[in-house]
Amino acid sequence: MENQVPLNKDAYIKMMKQQFNDSPDLICKTFESKHQTIIIHFVNYQVKKDYLERDLLEPLTTSRRPWSVHDLQNKIPLASSKTENSIKKITNDLIHGSVSVYIEGEPDVVLFALPNLESRALNRAETESLVFGPQISFTESLVTNLNVVRWRLDTDDLVVEKVILGERIKSEARIIYLKSLANDENVNTMRQRLTDLVVDEVEDTSVLSQLIEDSSSSVFPQLITTELPDRFCNSISKGRVGVMLDKSPTVLVGPMSFFEFFESTEDLYVRWNMGTFIRFLRFLAMFISIVLTPMYVAALTYHYEIIPASLLISLGQSRATVPFPPVIEALLLEMLIEFLREAGARLPTKVGQTMGIVGGIVLGQAAVKAGFTSNILIIVIALSALASFTAPSYLMGSAIRIIRFPMILLAGAWGLIGIVFALSFLVIHLLKQKSLGRPYLAPIYPLELRDFNDAIFRSTFQRNVKRPKYIMTKDKKRFDKTKAVEKNDVDPV
Amino acid sequence: MNANITVTKSQSVRAFYLFFIIHTIQIGAGLMGVPRILFLEAGSDAWVSILIGGLYIHFIAWIMILILREYENADILGIQCDLFGAFFGKLMGCIFIIYIFFILLSVIRNYIEVVQVFIFPEIPIWLMTLFLLFLMIYCVSGGLRVVIGTCFLFFFLTIWLVFTIYTPVTYMDWGHFLPVFQSSPLEILKGSQKMTYTVLGMEVLLFVYPYIENKKKIAVPVHLAIVLTTFLILLVTVVSIGYFSDYQLRETVWATLSLFKIVSFSIIERFDFIAVAIWMMVIIPNIVLFCWILLHSVKRMFNFQGKRSLYVIAVFLFIGSILFEYRMSVNQMTDLTAQVGFYLVFVYPLFLYLVLQVRKIWRKRRAS
Repeated sequence: MENQVPLNKDAYIKMMKQQFNDSPDLICKTFESKHQTIIIHFVNYQVKKDYLERDLLEPLTTSRRPWSVHDLQNKIPLASSKTENSIKKITNDLIHGSVSVYIEGEPDVVLFALPNLESRALNRAETESLVFGPQISFTESLVTNLNVVRWRLDTDDLVVEKVILGERIKSEARIIYLKSLANDENVNTMRQRLTDLVVDEVEDTSVLSQLIEDSSSSVFPQLITTELPDRFCNSISKGRVGVMLDKSPTVLVGPMSFFEFFESTEDLYVRWNMGTFIRFLRFLAMFISIVLTPMYVAALTYHYEIIPASLLISLGQSRATVPFPPVIEALLLEMLIEFLREAGARLPTKVGQTMGIVGGIVLGQAAVKAGFTSNILIIVIALSALASFTAPSYLMGSAIRIIRFPMILLAGAWGLIGIVFALSFLVIHLLKQKSLGRPYLAPIYPLELRDFNDAIFRSTFQRNVKRPKYIMTKDKKRFDKTKAVEKNDVDPV
Repeated sequence: MNANITVTKSQSVRAFYLFFIIHTIQIGAGLMGVPRILFLEAGSDAWVSILIGGLYIHFIAWIMILILREYENADILGIQCDLFGAFFGKLMGCIFIIYIFFILLSVIRNYIEVVQVFIFPEIPIWLMTLFLLFLMIYCVSGGLRVVIGTCFLFFFLTIWLVFTIYTPVTYMDWGHFLPVFQSSPLEILKGSQKMTYTVLGMEVLLFVYPYIENKKKIAVPVHLAIVLTTFLILLVTVVSIGYFSDYQLRETVWATLSLFKIVSFSIIERFDFIAVAIWMMVIIPNIVLFCWILLHSVKRMFNFQGKRSLYVIAVFLFIGSILFEYRMSVNQMTDLTAQVGFYLVFVYPLFLYLVLQVRKIWRKRRAS
């Protein structure tokens, strides 16, 4: 058998070398005593050396008795040990940070797992920052992330399923949900999509979400990728299904509805009226961001009549020197904003800030002075750019920013008709989308009026007695209504 | 052809969506010009015509529901085949298909007409048709759920237009209605008949019925939808009669849209541009539902599957839309469709119900 561990030590050493393509990182150490020969293999940077020396090498070298496989497993003070007789599997384990101990003449090799995982410490969230609330963000290490989730969701109800993704380069993924809440169909869909995946490699959860999403041609994200543990755990405890991937600092949650992309966990941390207000502000911002610039273009190109006379004069004055039609003017400025954003994102933080000032203030001022654009357009564009950044989900914000360009073109070509056409298309498009097979526009369509409480605005927690229906949790009720409102005051009147 | 359709739970929708389906399919191109049409027939007593018409629509809706309740889960196509045999049933089905095709065409053409009059005199007909057909194909290819969702959402996206009618209301002259009952009863009844073009589309109930989840609850949403439709028609007609003078109203083809002309906000001077553009959102549920009926009927009667028949319908609509080049021919087509529609939607169900009852009695006798 090619794959079996040979009984001869030279053959074994040769075989291992071959398996590792003569890699210089494979360390091979041979201990020869009177009775037997012991060979230890490990990959140089993959194992924790101090543990290796203290807990494995020392007992091996100091003991005078001959070692057997049984002794190795029982007398070495390392928690994880196992025996293996296939060279392939041994190789695989060595890559992942195990130490193999081979005793000449024995068909089994003992493996001790001593992985030395590189990971950074838990840091503050960068892309989705909260003003108020928990500040930690996930890291690239799956183990750390799982640790955080276990810490936040302290219940034996939590199910963590292991899935291996990637045909050539494997990475470990976990499906996470609450057994007593999450809808079985959702869990099955998620598991099905993950296990059906046939790709060389899954680089990141954002890639994974694109791979398993319902419609890959849409600009709208259908699953939420977040780096915030509190957001992730909040979704899980609402009854959704989460996916974690090793090597990726973000996690996936689904199924999601369109409106949840405008939701931030901060809405929960501030008081309910404030939270509702902020949430509505975001919806308004999205609408303004999509419609404002196209409206400007449409009104100035075709429908002068809809602009009030007093405004028309100042508009006319500021546009008098502009040599372009409004579409070109608007596209130029939108491009400028996009360049600024992209440059700011790529440059180091300190330079980025300077860029913002130079680009925003200097270029904007100069453009108006030079008669390139009108003052009012600068306001319009800045407003809609600003509004697009209010979306708590980065992907949703980008989607909104992209939608603007075809809208401006349509407005430039066919005025208001173009805008209404684009908006209608958008609404129908959203209607057709699904997230893990669930309707994307829930709870508006299919209508669940009671769920507005949770998805569209936010009311007091005491009033939120029932779980949202559209998530289809197994347990329908959150708590007993009377118990939540009742307060056992010390001094009843 | 089997009279009953088997529908899985994921295909069906709850009964209250019928409110939006019936209402949005009734309100469409017709509402834009209905005040003048009724005024020409019944003069300042048009509101009586509307009330009578409204009552009659309720009656027909009641008959329709009675017919549908006779079967377990059937649509009109299946019922016809069951009652008249395969050949005549399919023939009637074909008449329905042709009628719905033309009503769909007239909705599209009338809206394009309005866009040309109000916003873009030079916009080519084929381009506007392409816009509408593109949205139609995109929506209908998503299936009935998306179609109903479109009706539902677009209802809320457009219903606020009603409130802008407040400004014209303040300019109304109630003297225009006096003296009451100038017109003869016959004229008033003729007005009621003319009103039917506006409220055509109610036949959708006969097609969509198998896909309703809780069939016992359908009566309330259907009648509520009719109430709202009648109310809207009444509102725009009354306001138009009060707002425009006799002569003006006779000359104003799209009276409802002309009402928007004096509506203005602090940042929008002429609201009618926006109203006409947004009217596209009123039209879309119409187009989409009628197209779904067409697609559904073709599929059910001739077993044409898949998207190909949808594209074929779109191509026919496109050709039809280009062929009707002039206002006069559009008008003629609209009038003809309205007449056929009147008999098909507001008379035919009575006949159908009669036949059903006769057969029931006959069967009972034979059994005993």
